Amino acid sequence: MVTEKELAALPRRRSLINSVTRYIVALGGAAVIGAIALIFFYLLWVIAPVFVPASLQVEKTFEMPAGDVRHLDVSESGEFGLRILSTGDVEFIALDQEQPEISSRSSVGFAVERVKPLTPMSNYYALVDAEGTLRVMSASYPVSFEDDQRVVRPRLTLPFEDSELDVSGALDFDLYFESGTALLAVLRGDHVELTQYRDVEEGFALEMPRSTQIDLDAVYDRVWIGPRGQWLILLNESGRLELYDVKRPRRAKLLSTTQVVPEDGRVDVAEVILGRYSLLIGQGGDLQQWFVLRDEYGYRFENVRGFEYDKPLVKIIPEHRRKGFIALDAGGTAHLGYTTSNAQLASHPVGLPGDTYALSPRGKQLLAAAPDGDMRLFVIDNEHPDITWSALWDKIWYEGYDAPVHSWQSSSADNDFEPKFSLMPLLFGTLKAAFYAMLFATPLALMGAIYTAYFMAPSMRKLVKPGIEIMAALPTVVLGFLAGLWLAPIIEANLSAVLSVILVLPVGLMLLAWLWSLLPKDLTRRFDGWYGLVAVVPIISMVAIAFELGPHLEVQFFGGDSRAWFLNELGLSYDQRNALVVGLAMGLAVVPTIFSIAEDAIYGVPRHLVNGSLALGATPWQTLVRVVLLTASPGMFSAVMIGLGRAVGETMIVLMATGNTPIMDLNIFEGMRTFAANIAVELPESEVGSSHYRILFLTAMVLFLLTFAFNTVAEVVRQRLRARYGSL
Amino acid sequence: MLSHNAGGVRSWFASGEPWVWMNAAAVALSIIAVVGLLGLIAVRGLAHFWPADVLEVTYQDRTGQRVTLGERVESEFIPIERYAEASVREDDDRAAGLDVVERTLYKVGNRRATPPDFMWIYSHDIVGTATPESVFVLERTEWGNAYGYLESLTDDGVVVATGADAAAAFLQRMDAATELREEIAALEGGELNRINYGLEQLRLEERRLVIEGRDTAAALADIDAQRQVLNADYQVAEEALRQLHGALARSSVTLRLAEGRTIDVKLSEIVRAWQPNLMSVLDKLGHYGASVALFLTDNPREANTEGGIFPAIFGTVLMVMLMSILVTPFGVIAAIYLREYARQGTFVRLIRIAVNNLAGVPSIVYGVFGLGFFVYFIGGTLDELFYPEALPSPTFGTPGLVWASLTLALLTVPVVVVSTEEGLTRIPRSLREGSMALGATKAETLFRVILPMASPSILTGVILAIARAAGEVAPLMLVGVVKLAPTLPLDGNFPFIHLERKFMHLGFHIYDVGFQSPNVEAARPLVFATALLLVLIIVGLNLTAIMLRNRLEQRYRGVES
Repeated sequence: MVTEKELAALPRRRSLINSVTRYIVALGGAAVIGAIALIFFYLLWVIAPVFVPASLQVEKTFEMPAGDVRHLDVSESGEFGLRILSTGDVEFIALDQEQPEISSRSSVGFAVERVKPLTPMSNYYALVDAEGTLRVMSASYPVSFEDDQRVVRPRLTLPFEDSELDVSGALDFDLYFESGTALLAVLRGDHVELTQYRDVEEGFALEMPRSTQIDLDAVYDRVWIGPRGQWLILLNESGRLELYDVKRPRRAKLLSTTQVVPEDGRVDVAEVILGRYSLLIGQGGDLQQWFVLRDEYGYRFENVRGFEYDKPLVKIIPEHRRKGFIALDAGGTAHLGYTTSNAQLASHPVGLPGDTYALSPRGKQLLAAAPDGDMRLFVIDNEHPDITWSALWDKIWYEGYDAPVHSWQSSSADNDFEPKFSLMPLLFGTLKAAFYAMLFATPLALMGAIYTAYFMAPSMRKLVKPGIEIMAALPTVVLGFLAGLWLAPIIEANLSAVLSVILVLPVGLMLLAWLWSLLPKDLTRRFDGWYGLVAVVPIISMVAIAFELGPHLEVQFFGGDSRAWFLNELGLSYDQRNALVVGLAMGLAVVPTIFSIAEDAIYGVPRHLVNGSLALGATPWQTLVRVVLLTASPGMFSAVMIGLGRAVGETMIVLMATGNTPIMDLNIFEGMRTFAANIAVELPESEVGSSHYRILFLTAMVLFLLTFAFNTVAEVVRQRLRARYGSL
Repeated sequence: MLSHNAGGVRSWFASGEPWVWMNAAAVALSIIAVVGLLGLIAVRGLAHFWPADVLEVTYQDRTGQRVTLGERVESEFIPIERYAEASVREDDDRAAGLDVVERTLYKVGNRRATPPDFMWIYSHDIVGTATPESVFVLERTEWGNAYGYLESLTDDGVVVATGADAAAAFLQRMDAATELREEIAALEGGELNRINYGLEQLRLEERRLVIEGRDTAAALADIDAQRQVLNADYQVAEEALRQLHGALARSSVTLRLAEGRTIDVKLSEIVRAWQPNLMSVLDKLGHYGASVALFLTDNPREANTEGGIFPAIFGTVLMVMLMSILVTPFGVIAAIYLREYARQGTFVRLIRIAVNNLAGVPSIVYGVFGLGFFVYFIGGTLDELFYPEALPSPTFGTPGLVWASLTLALLTVPVVVVSTEEGLTRIPRSLREGSMALGATKAETLFRVILPMASPSILTGVILAIARAAGEVAPLMLVGVVKLAPTLPLDGNFPFIHLERKFMHLGFHIYDVGFQSPNVEAARPLVFATALLLVLIIVGLNLTAIMLRNRLEQRYRGVES
C-alpha cells in the first residue's frame, strides 16, 4: 500500500522528473548543435593566424655603454644579444631579463674594423682589423643544468686561431664555410682573389689553400658567394651585375651580365636572401628582386618582382630561415617584407638609419643599437608571411623557375627547398574529378530516375529503387580499390574497346528500339514497363561486341597502339590511373544519390497533372517532357547539386584511382590531385601549427563551405518544391 | 506506347519511343553496375579460398623444356603486337599467323626458391599438363605457398619416413604442430603480454613518482619488488616458450620441387598442408570452410598480404560499437529537442537544414576536425594533465580508438537525428494530447508513449549510422587506424579496454594492402575477400534498416487509420 506520505511526494517527484528531463533534453540538443558549430569555428580558429597581419613592436629599450658597434647579432634562442665593438670587445647581453645587461664580456685582442658573418653557418663571424687581417670568430651558447636550473653561458672562440687571412685593400669580401670547405672571395676592384681551403676543421688552422685570381671586365664593389659555393655574384654602384661559375675556381666562367638599374641610376642597397639565388637591389624607394634562372640560352638574371617604399632605403636585413627581409628606410622605419608572396607585411619606426641592426635567426626579434649606447629590442610576430590570399590563388614566380606558375609542392628532401602552396592545382583537380564524374553520372542517374519513376512497372520499381540505393551505402574504399586495381588495368589494355562502347551503345540501343517497334504490338505490350530489364542482355552483348572489336579498331584507327596514337596525334599522354577511371568510379558512387532524390521528385509529381495531360490527348512522352519534368525540375536540380557535393568531397576513390599528381591538365587520360585526397595524403605528416598545417585546414574549410553551399541550395529548392506539390 | 507506322522514322522519333529506350538503358546500366560489382567482388573474394587443383605444366622456354607446378589463376588473349613486344625470343615463329595469343597466369608459389610466385605461360608454349596426385601445397608463415612432392620427413636431423609413408606421418605431425603453435600464441598473447604491460606500467609509475617528487626510497623499493616478481615470471614464461619453439622446430620435411630441386621446410614454418589433387569435392568444401574460418580468425602475415584479418574485424566492430554508444543518446536527444521541446520557428528550421546538410559534408573534413580538435587539442591537454610521465611520447595526444569513435559519432549524428525526427513526426498529435489529457507530464508522455513508438525509427537511424561508420575510411586515416596494430585495443590487462590504442580497420586494410603492399598480385585475392566481407556487413545492415523502415510504415498506417 502506498502511504499517505509517499502519495504526497508523488506529484513533486513527477514534476521534478519532468523538469530534469526538459533540462537534459535541452542540454543534449544544445550540445549537438554546439558540436556542429564547433567544427566550423575550430577550423576557422586554426586558419585565422594565417590571415592575421604581421606586427613589429617595441618590447624594451635599454642603455649600454656607448661604443662604436661594428656588428650586432641575436642568439638562436633569442636569449642573448651579441655586440662586437671596434675596440675588439665582444659583449653578450642577456636580453630576456627585465632590464637587459651585459652577462659576459671578452676581447678578441685586436681592434676590429669590419665584421661580416660567414655563410651559410650562423654564429660565425669574419673579423677584419685595421691592417686588413681577417680572423674567424665563433660564438656558442652551450646549455647546462646547475641545480636543475637551465643555465646558458655564452662562449667565444677563434676556431682557426692561427689563421690570419689577408684581405687588405679589399673593397668587399665574402667567406663561405660549409662541410669542411671554406671559400674566401676577396674583391679588389677589377679582380677577385678566390681562395679555397680544404679539410677545414675547427681547432686547426685553415690549410691547403688554393688561390686563383679572376680578372673582371669592370670595377665592382660588392661580392657574394652563391649557393653551395658554386657561384660568385658581383655588383657595382652603377648597377652592373655579373655571375661567375666557380665550381672549379681555376676554370671560372662568366655566366651572365645584367644592368639592374637605368644607365644614370645608382644602387643604394643590395643584399642576398636565404638560399643565395636571389638579390634584393634597392634604388631609392624601389626594391627589386633579381634571381638567376636558366633557360635554353644559358643563365640570366631576371627581375621578378618589386616593392615600393615612400622613402629611400638605406639597409636590407635578410631573414635567416625564410625568404623574407626587413627594409630600413631613411626615415628609420623598418618594413617587413616577404619575397615569394610579394607581401609588405608591417612597418614600424625603429630608430635612426645610422644604427646597427640585427634580426634573430628565427626572425622573431629585431635588435637595434645606436652609437651612444641606446638599444632597442623589437618583437616580430610574423608566422606565415609566405601565405597571402593572392599567393594561394595567383601564379607565383619561384626561384629557379623560368615563369610564374601555379604549383603545389609542400615538401621535399632538400633543405634549400621552398614549399609551394598554390591552391589552384588542387581546386582544378577537385573540379576536374567532379566534372568527369558528373559527366558520367548525371545523364545516367537522371535518365534512370525518369524511367523508374514514370515508365517502370510498379513491381519492378519496388526492387530496382532500393537496389540502386543500396549502392549509395557501398563503401567508397571498395569502389576505389576496384577502380584502381581492376578497372584501370582493363581500360589501359582495352582503351579502344572502351572508347568504342561510347559509340556502340547509343547506336545499338536505337537499333534495338527500332527492331522492337517492328515486333507485333500484342507481344511488345506485355513488356511495357519492363524495358529496363529487357535492355540488360542487349547492353551486355553490345559491350562484349565492343570488346571483341576492340583489337581490330585498335589496328584500324590507332595503328595498333591507341595510347601511342593519342600521344603522337593529339599530344595526350596516358596515365594508368586517370580522370576517365575516376569519372567512372566516382560517377558510380554518385549515381545512387542523384537517382534517389530525382526519382522521388518525379514520382511525387501529382497524379492528376499527368492524367489531365493524357486526357487532353498528349502522348506519355509529351506529358513527361512538357508536364512531369517541368514540374519536377527543381527536384532534379537539387539532386544534381547534392551529387556534385558528394563528388567534390569524395576522398578514397580519388586517392586510389588517380596518381595524385597536382597537375593542371584537362586531359581525361591524366590524373589529378583533389583537396580531399591531398588532405588525406599530407595532413598526418604535417607539423602542427606550420603554414602547411594551416593551409590544409583551409582546404578542409573550403570543402566544408563548398559542399555546405551546394547542399543548402539543394535543400531550399527541395523545400520549395515540396510546398508547391502540396499546393497542387 | 505508339508503334511505328508507315510515317517512318520521323514520327517514330516524335513518339518518344527511342528516348524511352535510352532511359530504360540507363536503368539497365545501373542494374548491371550494381549486380556486376557485387558479383565481381563475391566471385573474386570467394574463389580465393577454394583449394584448386595443382597442375604440372610442361612448357617450352628459351632454355628448352621446363616443368612447373602451379594453380591456374586466369587466362587472357593479347594482341600479337604486345606479344611481340614482350617476347624475348628472336626466332619466335610459333605465334606466326595469329592475331591474338592466349596466355595463362599460374600461381607457382615457391617465392624463395624460384621467384616470382606468379608466371604467365603462353598456350602455344605448353607441351602438356597433368594433375599429379601426390603433390603437396604447404601454406607457410613466410614466403607464401610451396608446391612440390614430399620426399621425406626428418626429426632432429634423422629421416624417419620417406615416400608414401612420409605423407601420413607428416600430416599427423602437422596436427601436433598446430596444437603447439596455438600454445605459443596463447603464451605470447596472454602471459607475456601481461608481463610486458606490467613492466611498462611500472616504468611509468616510477617516472610519475619522480615527476611529482614522491620518489621516496620506500616507494621505489616497492616498485622494484614488483618488477622482480614480473621479471621472474618472465623467465618462466620465456623458458616455456623456448621449449615450445624447440619442440616445434624438431621436425622438417623435404619437398621436391617441379624441376627436381629439393627444399627443406621446418614444421614451424608451415601453417597448413594439403594435397588438393587427392581431395574429393567434399574434402575441398571442408578445406574451403576451414580456410574461410582461418581468414576470419587469424592474424595477418607477410605485411598483411597473407593470413587472416581478425584484428581488422575486431577493430572495426569495437570502433563502431563505441561510436554507437556515443551517437545514440546524443542523436536521439537532439532530435527530441528539435521536435518536442524547441519552439518551432525559423531558428529551428535553420538548424534542421544545417543538420541535414552536415550529412553531405565530406567525411575527410570531419577527419581534419578530429585530428586538430580531438587528437591534438583535447588529447594533448589530457596528456599534459594526466600522463606527464609518458611524455614526450603521447598517450592520448596521438590518433587512437577513442578519437576515431568520437569523430565518426560526429559524422553520423545527423543520420540518427534525421531518422529519429522522421519517426517523431509520424506520431500523430492525438496520441500526445491523449496522454497529456490523462494527466501525464510531458516527460511521462515522452518516455511511455513517444519513445516506444519512435523506437523502430531510432533503431533504423542507428543502424544506418553504423553502416556509414563501418564503411568510412578517409577520416580514420587521420584519427586512428594503422596498417598493423601490435596489440588489440581489448585485452586481459586492466582497464581491459585501451581507448588510446591504435587499431586496424577493414576498409583501411583494403586501401593499405591493395595500394601500399609490395606484392599486389599475391595480395589481390585477399583484398577481394576483405572487400566482400565489408560489403556484406554494410549491405546487410542497410537491408535491415530498410526492412525496419518498411515495417514501421505499416505500423503507423494502423495508428493513423
